[in-house]
Amino acid sequence: MTGALEIAERALEHASDEAEVYVGSERSGFARYAASAVHQPTLIDDTSVHLRVVRGQRAAVATTNRTDDAGLAELARRAAEMVASASEDPDVVPVAPPAEHPEVRAYDAETASLGPADQARLAAEAISAVDGLELYGYVTSAACDSAMVSTAGLRARQQTTDATCLALAAGEGASGYAMRTSWRAGELDPAAVAREAAERAERTRGAVEVGPGRYRAVLEPYALSELLYYFSFDGLNGLALLEERSYFAGRVGERAFDPQLTLVDDALSERSLPRSFDFEGTPKQRVPLIEQGVIRGPVWDRGTAARAGRASTGHGLPAESRSFGAMPTNLELAPGDAESTEELAERVGDGIYVTRLHYLSVVNPREAVITGMTRDGTFRIRDGRVAEPLVNLRFTVAVPDVLGDVLGLTRETVLVNQSDFYDERWAYGNRVPALATADFNVTGVGGGPGL
Amino acid sequence: MREACAAAVDAALGAGAGYADARAVLRRSQSVATKNGRVETLSDAETEGIGVRVLVGGAWGFACDRRLTPEGARDAALRAHGFAAAAGGDSARALAPTEARFGSYRTSVERDPFSIPLDEKVALCLRAEEALRHPDVKVAEAAVRAQSERKLFLSSDGAEVEQELVECGGLIEAIAVGDGLVQVRAYPSIHVGSSAQAGWEYVESLGLEGEAPRVAEQAAALLRAEECPAKVTTVVIDAEQMQLQVHESVGHPTELDRVYGTEAAYAGTSFLSPADLGSLRYGSEHMNITADSTTPGGLGSFGFDDEGVPASREAIVEDGVLRGFLTSRETATQLGHGHGGSMRADGWARMPLVRMTNLHLEPGSGTLEELISEVDDGIYLETNRSWSIDDKRLNFQFGTQMAWEIENGKLGRLYRDATYTGVTPVFWGSLDRVARPEEWVMYGLTNCGKGQPGQHAHVSHGASPARFRNVQVGVRS
Repeated sequence: MTGALEIAERALEHASDEAEVYVGSERSGFARYAASAVHQPTLIDDTSVHLRVVRGQRAAVATTNRTDDAGLAELARRAAEMVASASEDPDVVPVAPPAEHPEVRAYDAETASLGPADQARLAAEAISAVDGLELYGYVTSAACDSAMVSTAGLRARQQTTDATCLALAAGEGASGYAMRTSWRAGELDPAAVAREAAERAERTRGAVEVGPGRYRAVLEPYALSELLYYFSFDGLNGLALLEERSYFAGRVGERAFDPQLTLVDDALSERSLPRSFDFEGTPKQRVPLIEQGVIRGPVWDRGTAARAGRASTGHGLPAESRSFGAMPTNLELAPGDAESTEELAERVGDGIYVTRLHYLSVVNPREAVITGMTRDGTFRIRDGRVAEPLVNLRFTVAVPDVLGDVLGLTRETVLVNQSDFYDERWAYGNRVPALATADFNVTGVGGGPGL
Repeated sequence: MREACAAAVDAALGAGAGYADARAVLRRSQSVATKNGRVETLSDAETEGIGVRVLVGGAWGFACDRRLTPEGARDAALRAHGFAAAAGGDSARALAPTEARFGSYRTSVERDPFSIPLDEKVALCLRAEEALRHPDVKVAEAAVRAQSERKLFLSSDGAEVEQELVECGGLIEAIAVGDGLVQVRAYPSIHVGSSAQAGWEYVESLGLEGEAPRVAEQAAALLRAEECPAKVTTVVIDAEQMQLQVHESVGHPTELDRVYGTEAAYAGTSFLSPADLGSLRYGSEHMNITADSTTPGGLGSFGFDDEGVPASREAIVEDGVLRGFLTSRETATQLGHGHGGSMRADGWARMPLVRMTNLHLEPGSGTLEELISEVDDGIYLETNRSWSIDDKRLNFQFGTQMAWEIENGKLGRLYRDATYTGVTPVFWGSLDRVARPEEWVMYGLTNCGKGQPGQHAHVSHGASPARFRNVQVGVRS
């Protein structure tokens, strides 16, 4: 396979303006299973070339997946044609400057070498670990190669791997969920993931309803990561701060969360899905977002940072998505001192236990109000112990309420994959502990667990 | 493209596949967006490749290659075959019969959206967005988009169809900020606006510039509006919000792959079961839902789906009773009913899934004013703002941008931050009137997510305003 850097440099040669090129290559396999059989195995092999040209105060982006010289010449022609139509923008972001990129270990040769037979074998390991229930989910692995170059002298390349096993063990009236992800497939144990899902599922039979109301709750890492992910769309996005949509607007420097809450974004951590630079070629760095409950600020890309008089924190999105603003993609919530989720249940005393969330939506970005459902492992907590299973619950919460009175966090953290692998492959996720909160607002009930 | 597709199918059959199909796809997408007087997005993307799907001893395999050459196609076919063989499968998998077809289809276009000069698109956005300016509007935004997709499908069952789908759309959006409140007002829809399978004439018909002053005024007015009260009441819902209500609470649960559980791990399942067909009361007698991949202008319109099944119009709910599911050839065989026709893939690098095409709420009678006039105490809700529904598609909660009190048959004060919630069959059971055909509007959305790896589908929904009794509004955090 021709390397991403070589393709990027060839693409740059075709550009007649100031330009930057991002190239992303993906070779991936998905062994997706349902009812304990692989039903949608998908092998993807693709390379995309994104050429951004800047002519004076005008800019435009063109993309192709044709990497021969004719394809790259056509790409340059389209970009040049587009930039001629752009209006002048005094705030145009110049092409990416050269930068020192941190060395990040994010590529595992063993993971990169996994082929369809391996992905099918790992899926079979998961499936065969479950008795009496059927397994749904997938095993996937990928090797990605990305590079960025610019006429200003930027030259960067990173190779990454990622692997994920997701398991929903389900039957009539029962379902449980588990997932593990890593950039090293060897760290995954599909059978253990499946067993975790199945064990949880077996406890969900005979689910009952609870009434609406404010509950104390334990949120498993899967649930907490999802909540933080949706919060980040506005709450942790520099653009949303500038546009006053973010909960952080007017609150930077304030203590808005429980003092136990320390949240960073750290793509340099080997315990994340690491990256060396973002889609604008900016080096990644560890960014404090909330420290001991005090808001420190959001993440920034080059455009929003310039408007704010700051430097990019390395959170630029792909060019086509840049109007969304900047996104944290490697959140890390500091752990606590609880030895287990059982200990968190003890601290809750009377409340609910939530494994996984489903279909979240931001109701009010400024107040960080989010609604969604629980699924695949919702339980009542009584007398400090996880008790009877519950049906899926609708919640409508202000995130600062959930994170404002924290009863505890586990010592152990879990890396949760948040990318659903739409479009070009780009694995990202959050490392979080389980969390016990004094305030989780249940506003309705849905269906029971299971199929 | 044909040579590549034929090479893929031949290679798969030669390797021992019992069935094979190949889709060669060339897609071009263009986006223009302006915000607060500056060009925010100017992008043009092209992608091409071939996706090959094989059935080997009852196991599916899918692989793709960006080389649109016989060599690339053969490689993809053999990799798909290898994956299917390694995965093993259910030897009982069978596909509903379909006639071998040679055919073609092309979107009816008056003005090719790619022939419109870019500077004309930029100028339109800047004018529309300029018209959104208002002292309370912090962010004014306008966007237009276009996409063309040429694809050739060839199967070992003898189908060979060539299609060219062209779509475009746009939106304007104003975000008003004041006194700690953030209010959004968009037209014609939030998210990515509304698109249609049509030429540039569709974007022109939206009248973005002309609508902008109203949109800005309403965004600003929301800052001074009272919060929507919490109560159980009658709601009248506009066509835009109704289309999302149809999408989430009828479209997804009637996808037969969800009913059979194959989306359980991600998008979810369905509260429906195969046995419900023909008997389940989904809603009141006013509820009529049609799946129609022949609707002119619909984003889900085609000549043939991505299994080569011809487009059709089918009843999904008739007089409130479940009459059909959205099917593939495989799920139709499992059900023993239907013939497929809803299989769609997001480009060449994804396997087709059961997706909505165009799913409509059929109109009833009366005007919106009449629907409102018959309400003593209620809320009129307009344009989606937030959306959430559970994995079985039962419990939903939507927020709308606008809400007005209805008092004694007339619209009263404006409310902000309106939400409503319900349980699907209970909610649809409370439907007591749908407005007339003249009020029926079709919207097209491009961000319907499903599948692992994820796929976006472009689907359309038509609806008229509708009225529901005893609905919970005003959910609080």
